[in-house]
Amino acid sequence: MAIPKRKVNPKGETVISVSGLTPKAARYSRIFDFLVVAAVVPLFAGAFHLHVMLTVGDWDMYVDWKDRQYWPLVAPISMIMFPAALQAIFWVNFRLPIGATVGATVLLITTWLGRYANWWIWTGFPFTEGVPSQVIAGALLMDMALIVLRNSLFTSIFAGFAFGFVFWPSNYSALAPFYLPVEHQGMVASLADMIGYTFPRSNMPEYLRIIERGTLRTFGSSVSWVSAAFAGFICIFMHQLWWQLGRFASQTTFLKNGDVVKSFMGMKSRRAS
Amino acid sequence: MSDAALGRTPNVTGTKTFSINYGLFAFAIVALTILYICARLYQQAFGFSMGLDASSPEFDEYWMTLFKIELPVLYGAGALCWTYLFLTRDKNIEAITPEVELRSYFYLTMWLVVYSFCIFWTGSFFADGDGVWHQTTLRDTPFTPSHIILFYATIPIYLFFGVGSFVYAMTRIPAFCRGISLMHVFAVVGPFLILPNLGFNEWGHAYWLTEEIFSHPLHWGFVVLGWCALALAGVLMQIVGRFRELVPIVFKQDAASA
Repeated sequence: MAIPKRKVNPKGETVISVSGLTPKAARYSRIFDFLVVAAVVPLFAGAFHLHVMLTVGDWDMYVDWKDRQYWPLVAPISMIMFPAALQAIFWVNFRLPIGATVGATVLLITTWLGRYANWWIWTGFPFTEGVPSQVIAGALLMDMALIVLRNSLFTSIFAGFAFGFVFWPSNYSALAPFYLPVEHQGMVASLADMIGYTFPRSNMPEYLRIIERGTLRTFGSSVSWVSAAFAGFICIFMHQLWWQLGRFASQTTFLKNGDVVKSFMGMKSRRAS
Repeated sequence: MSDAALGRTPNVTGTKTFSINYGLFAFAIVALTILYICARLYQQAFGFSMGLDASSPEFDEYWMTLFKIELPVLYGAGALCWTYLFLTRDKNIEAITPEVELRSYFYLTMWLVVYSFCIFWTGSFFADGDGVWHQTTLRDTPFTPSHIILFYATIPIYLFFGVGSFVYAMTRIPAFCRGISLMHVFAVVGPFLILPNLGFNEWGHAYWLTEEIFSHPLHWGFVVLGWCALALAGVLMQIVGRFRELVPIVFKQDAASA
């Protein structure tokens, strides 16, 4: 079957010519676009990484914290927040369905930057101990759902759930080797646990106290899918909540200044003029 | 150095061609990058060798001296810059030409780029370094080698540019003088409040919870205040809205006068 030719621009017009901008105006518009991107990317990278570190950082920092019970639950719940807000900012204002993916990608880049410059060079933790989580797969699903559904509520319901649910399987391929069982002093431990025993940290006692409460230790199994489904359920609500927060954050409200402040800052009052 | 590069918007009635000076912007980015890398190298050189025992004379010499230098220098530089911006404000801001206004919007965006650049180094890079430091050592002071860089150097630096962007906007751009940009307040005040929140954080670590769990609720004050950075999107939307109105006006004039 022959593919019909697309009539993209029958008059041969370009976006610039339709906009009516002079070449110089177009050049400065591009410079301005670059500045906006340069303002957005590092800001969201810094704020998102800080948010993840201080809410679920311990699970994200160490491979032996990545258990089957809490890690697949708390990590996606925290990590959907900024991508959902960025999705709202990019989609509502610019109709760009890239917000979630941008958020997930800058997070992974900045996380690895820290892993290399701080964890490896400064304190000598091996990369195998500091494998971070990634949410790019879930973020792609969120952006794709937004393109198809074009509705934040349905995106929350379907893609919010998908984001939480795919977190475990999309990270499993990178972490599977660390779940292999090994014998340690007559006991069964995971390879991740062995790396943790070799490179002790100050948060280890808390780690043991907090997560080794269940019956299956750190080995993933069918119970991991229970955590994934529960995470998906919570992520539905988190997505909608943070979508609304993203909309709030991109509002253009000015609170009116009084005459005194305005004249103080350099604006002549009407009475004076 | 031109008036524009210094942040002044001279009250002129138009020039032949529109142009922007990138000098100070480029200088700020390069200087900050060098400063941050040097701070990290200092940690690398003297963190473990001189920074493990707060009661030792080496700690006092290498770390507390740095602490005592960076506080007055960085806050003093900020206060000087903000005062300079205020004193050189346009005294008749509503009379500025569209060209000058457009240029001011470009410079405000540059302020915000540098601000977000500093937020990245603070919130991501050095905060991550603080996390890994506290996973490696047990501290005996709130003034650790990671804190002396993160809390008392990188935070004042982003305050320099955050508050600077606010003062610049209020004293150079009519819309930001007529009204307070609500999102600009959030984007600057939220990260600013991280500094006083340190009091709560350090009190908690001294008497209540250790630093070793990075995710515990004692740190969530930083998280909530960090969320305010999202509000920069609102500021950029305000800039984009006016930019879209100004560009056709300015470049029509520009083409006619060229």
